[in-house]
Amino acid sequence: MKVITAYCNLRADECLVNGEVVSRRDAGSDDSWFKQIYKQQELAYPKFYKMDVLSQAGYLASELIKRATPGISETYADDEIALVFANASSSAETDRRFIQSYEGGGSPSPSLFVYTLPNIVLGEIAILNKWYGENMFAVLPKFVPGFYLDYGGILFASGSRALLGGWLEVTAGGTDVLLFMVEEQESGMEFNEANLLHLSQRVAAY
Amino acid sequence: MDSLKEDLKKQIIEQLNLEDLTVADIADDALLFNDQGLGLDSIDALELIVLLEKYHGIQLTNPEEGKEAFKSIDTMAAYIRKRKEA
Amino acid sequence: MIYIGAEVIVSPLGDNAEDNWQALAENRSGIALVPAVGFNKEDIHLAKIAGLNGRLRFQQLVIKALIGVKACIDDSILTSDRTIVLISSTKGALDDNLHDQFGETCAAVMQQFNLAHLPLVISNACISGVLTLNVAGNMVEAGQYEHVIVIGCDVASDFVLYGFQSLFAVSDKPCAPFDAARNGITLGEGCGAALVSASESVFKNTPLQLLTGTSANDANHISGPSRTGEGLVRSVSRTMQKHGIGTKEIDFICAHGTGTVFNDEMEAIAFDRLSLPDKPLNSLKGYFGHTLGAAGLIETAVCMQMMRNGMLIKSLGYRNEGTSRPLNIILENEPKSLRTILKTASGFGGGNASLMIRDL
Repeated sequence: MKVITAYCNLRADECLVNGEVVSRRDAGSDDSWFKQIYKQQELAYPKFYKMDVLSQAGYLASELIKRATPGISETYADDEIALVFANASSSAETDRRFIQSYEGGGSPSPSLFVYTLPNIVLGEIAILNKWYGENMFAVLPKFVPGFYLDYGGILFASGSRALLGGWLEVTAGGTDVLLFMVEEQESGMEFNEANLLHLSQRVAAY
Repeated sequence: MDSLKEDLKKQIIEQLNLEDLTVADIADDALLFNDQGLGLDSIDALELIVLLEKYHGIQLTNPEEGKEAFKSIDTMAAYIRKRKEA
Repeated sequence: MIYIGAEVIVSPLGDNAEDNWQALAENRSGIALVPAVGFNKEDIHLAKIAGLNGRLRFQQLVIKALIGVKACIDDSILTSDRTIVLISSTKGALDDNLHDQFGETCAAVMQQFNLAHLPLVISNACISGVLTLNVAGNMVEAGQYEHVIVIGCDVASDFVLYGFQSLFAVSDKPCAPFDAARNGITLGEGCGAALVSASESVFKNTPLQLLTGTSANDANHISGPSRTGEGLVRSVSRTMQKHGIGTKEIDFICAHGTGTVFNDEMEAIAFDRLSLPDKPLNSLKGYFGHTLGAAGLIETAVCMQMMRNGMLIKSLGYRNEGTSRPLNIILENEPKSLRTILKTASGFGGGNASLMIRDL
């Protein structure tokens, strides 16, 4: 059966892997919350600093999921891990910053513009891991398990063997991120509506 | 401390929207366009050209010259000094 | 079998597939020089729809396209629980509401057409259109829905124009895909739509067959095309393999062909690696500009018109060979019976997607 083999939640003050807190926000730090996670988890990928918040969130959560599923990149061929992400506000936060770059006397910033598409985070994860598989980004009013279950089912039926699913809502109003890895296994947390809803609500509760 | 180099680091952080970085995170000799350095790319090179003009009044028209100048903070500072002397 | 038909094109060249076809048959372009629209008030070539101004431009186009589709099908399926609308777009109604670029349009469309489900928005940069058609085909094949209406739409905005200007990626003349002197894209706006269905009888005109394709990431760079064409090669070869189609059977390729130096070069390398360099090929960007999330829909709809009318359309803007691997670019319109065509797209984020259409 299809099983959620690892998941990562990022919320306002905590970063959790498989439900366990792995990083806590230090309110006294000058560093952004995502940079605190990057440092606390001793990650080393300087491109992180160039990424917009969506890509930073996707990078952090996918790296932590890889740690929790050792050997995932070796288990599958380079095009067998599909990425299916969604959120509600597209790349609005970066869009706002890009508009700021050219309104009020400045000039449009190319390094911001290239992040004004929600699917760029999929590209960042694909580049880092050299994953050539299927990618899809949808914009939905809210987290809906059925979206991942339906499209995941299609991808599993057409050659993908693992699925990295993601809900990435990072705005001025809050951080609500859930990434989860789905693989074929004999037992474990089944990839179904109830479990996905449960994992997502762990985020929404805060 | 070389104030031009410190200024350059601040300007790069500002121009490239790298507000997660601090001046202390950038070594003078780190390769800016190397994945182990800052991991900059051709898009960022466009920003560096803007930076040279905006903060230092230097117009860079030859991309090859940019390649050499943008290797590291050290080479950028040397390039700016050379252009200002000329 | 998965059917595709009821194609609609709303562009500077007309409000329906027939008017657009007429313009293409005459090699008329929708691109014009628009005064003082650039960031530094430069005149810029754009493919803009006349009279489309003000608020709700995105919503207006989507609704117009859906009205067009409705007229070409058994319209009772619109309200069916077995029907869903997919919207392919990059920036949606950004100018109306930065923080919710699609919500208002989806709600309005659902209400106006009394849809059973809220439209689903897919936003994957320039491959959105081809990818969304593939999602539609997959949904029908898996039995999740019986009918999927796919609408691809993007409208012109300062935001996108300034962005491409900041990348020095905007052409100083109408874009010239695959030409030696190409130097960038020309932006366009428009909307394309079609119905993908398990049922042949819901189409008023004879539909075609959708051979659903696959997508693949380049894993190379978020905004720079791959130097090897790896993602495009993988996408096309998987799409052909999936349907047991050999290179011999492909009659025509509708390429992405944005008109930037590196994109078109990447595509030439990929088609060469795929042993497809001798296939008649065009880019339609010289007619419509780059319509981003609408491009895959508009261009697939044109392919369907080419098949229905038995005519190859010339690749507007192309004069001299300009890629390291030669391609068979269509120089003049030419009558030709087309049985199987290949449509590809590549875009920011490293995405590549492809699909095939076959006549019945």
